[in-house]
Amino acid sequence: MPLSYDTSSAAALPAATSALRSGLPRSRIFISNEFGLILLIVIFALVFGTMTHGFTSHFNLFTLGRNTAVNIMIGLSMMTVIVTGGLNLAVGAIGVCAAMLCGYALQVLHLPWPIALLLALALGAALGAVNGFAVVRTGLHSFIITLATMSIFYGVMIFLTRAEAYRNIPFGFVHFGSMKVLGDVSPLLLLALAVALALAALYRGSVLGREMLATGARREAAELSGIRTGRIITLCHMLSGALATVAALMLVARNGAAIPSMAGQLGQDWLLPAFLAPVLGGAVLNGGKAPVFGTCLGAALVSMLTSGLLLMQLGAFWVQTFLGLLLLLAMFLDKARRSYLAYRNLA
Amino acid sequence: MLRRSMPRVMRALLVAGAFGCAAIGPVYAASDTMVALVPPGPHPYFATWKQGGADAAKAFGLKAADFKVPQQWQLSEQNELLESLLAQGYNGFVIFPGDPVGSVSTVSEMVSNGAPVVTAGGCLKDPSDAAFCLATDTGNSAYLGTKQLIRAMGPGKKRILHLTGFLADPNTQLRIDAVEKAATESGDQVVQVIADIDAPEPAAEKVNAYLAAHANDVDGIISTAWVPSVVAANALRKIGDKRIHMVAIDTDQVVLQAIKDGYVDGTMIQNPYGQAYIGAYAVDKLRSGCQVKADAPFKSNALTKKFIDSGTAFVDAHDVDSYVQTMQDKTKQLLSTFATTYLTCK
Repeated sequence: MPLSYDTSSAAALPAATSALRSGLPRSRIFISNEFGLILLIVIFALVFGTMTHGFTSHFNLFTLGRNTAVNIMIGLSMMTVIVTGGLNLAVGAIGVCAAMLCGYALQVLHLPWPIALLLALALGAALGAVNGFAVVRTGLHSFIITLATMSIFYGVMIFLTRAEAYRNIPFGFVHFGSMKVLGDVSPLLLLALAVALALAALYRGSVLGREMLATGARREAAELSGIRTGRIITLCHMLSGALATVAALMLVARNGAAIPSMAGQLGQDWLLPAFLAPVLGGAVLNGGKAPVFGTCLGAALVSMLTSGLLLMQLGAFWVQTFLGLLLLLAMFLDKARRSYLAYRNLA
Repeated sequence: MLRRSMPRVMRALLVAGAFGCAAIGPVYAASDTMVALVPPGPHPYFATWKQGGADAAKAFGLKAADFKVPQQWQLSEQNELLESLLAQGYNGFVIFPGDPVGSVSTVSEMVSNGAPVVTAGGCLKDPSDAAFCLATDTGNSAYLGTKQLIRAMGPGKKRILHLTGFLADPNTQLRIDAVEKAATESGDQVVQVIADIDAPEPAAEKVNAYLAAHANDVDGIISTAWVPSVVAANALRKIGDKRIHMVAIDTDQVVLQAIKDGYVDGTMIQNPYGQAYIGAYAVDKLRSGCQVKADAPFKSNALTKKFIDSGTAFVDAHDVDSYVQTMQDKTKQLLSTFATTYLTCK
């Protein structure tokens, strides 16, 4: 099942059928983001596996999977807004706010953890709705709106919690973050993949998903088709908020506590992986494309590079530099790929 | 050679496919102690950790005692670095936790993988698997520093400006409370607390702005974080008015020179070198079979009941040139009885 969708798929169907007969899809596969990412993952796994000590150790495999799970969720959170041609700089702030509510519900209100999780998800979605509503109502770009709400959400959270962490998290929930299944696999990774599959089903098999893609591809055309684009954009931000919450709850399980600094100051720690995963995965910043599988691969590549570079002892200071360069390289390669597709009439 | 490397190649392929499945064990044998000294991020406070680790490796015959710094002061980056160092074969850790609560599970994972952990400079919140916490008694240091400031300001009700560190750091609240307590005891008033400024840009912006607008409303400054100490010392030098008294913290050259020149009354020194040196020593002892005494005379602070004060002292113009000797003496004193006081070794 293909997990990357764009609005041009339906229109391009006859052309694609024709291309299939002429054997062109094979070349299209080879220049797809997903294929390139798989190739890079294999190459880097070989490089790190043979050149470093400990890359293939049990502990490293486990932590690699766990970090990948969080990066996948952060990447998907950003991707769901990029689908509409927007951005969500507040993914970290929303995630932390929701996680802190979960901690408060568990430690102070003594609620059962499933209810605390639902409350957190509801808050994440609600904060996302605030973003979406503001974007639609003001007409400002989501970059500006979410830049502002990032500070607002985080500031209110710090004020309310006095920057105190909540650590009375039920053992079963915390254990979920440190347990292993199927050898050295973190259940967080399985959860992330399950969420990715659900998102893929949303974009592929539901009217709502198609409306999201159509809104991102060309908002005016979508409106003329009867799609309530304002509502769709708000829903995309709500989805982004909920996914950011899942990422934050994964970190709560991993850290054993809800911590205000879990995503850095203002939640900014999440911004680089949030952009890297979908952009590497083939997301178009103008919207209209939802590369779910590519985003997962992008997150896996980012996690693997981080782990491998640290193991190579290049110095922690180089890791972020390298990831930044990777983001730029991905943009250039994507541009080159598009030019090639246009040249070969494959786009 | 090729035959030996093939399983690792196959393993790497498996990783590429599924991030899981079978895996080989750690490469290093766990016979030699390799200690990693890991702060939560770059900060001048940890500058002497590197030397402390290197000296400990030399003095106690450790295979390594390396100083490893995350790029930024972020919990996630420190966690990733710690996980990576464990995978690389480091088998003992001296860490300043990125978060007193959020680092607990990471430390548990390291200990469960056979690597003892000592926290230094900052503590984990109990309960944790860290052997103990070797750090400055931050509340006491702030209290003593404020008392020194009050003494320097002289009689009468005085107005104090308190500059301090990150709000997310629980030590910050301890410092705020301690300064308030010392001021209240002597009938003085803390007119303003400026927090979250232990970084150059916010410190320069907020301290300079405050002094520009309210210098006449302040009689003394107590700083309980490194960067604000430097910024405030520079600001007082620029103002040139020695009416405002100040007690700083730590040993930046700017602060030490300001003490010599009379712009700053003194500074509360800490012992980061000793934390690294003794921390590496203790980790090696724990690896070689020693255990922490159940009845060890630990102190308590707001986070842990397994606290060891690494030492603090007030330094003014009279002894500013000999502060290194002061801390070395404290380190030697602590080390001389450390094993018998805190450890049980067979």
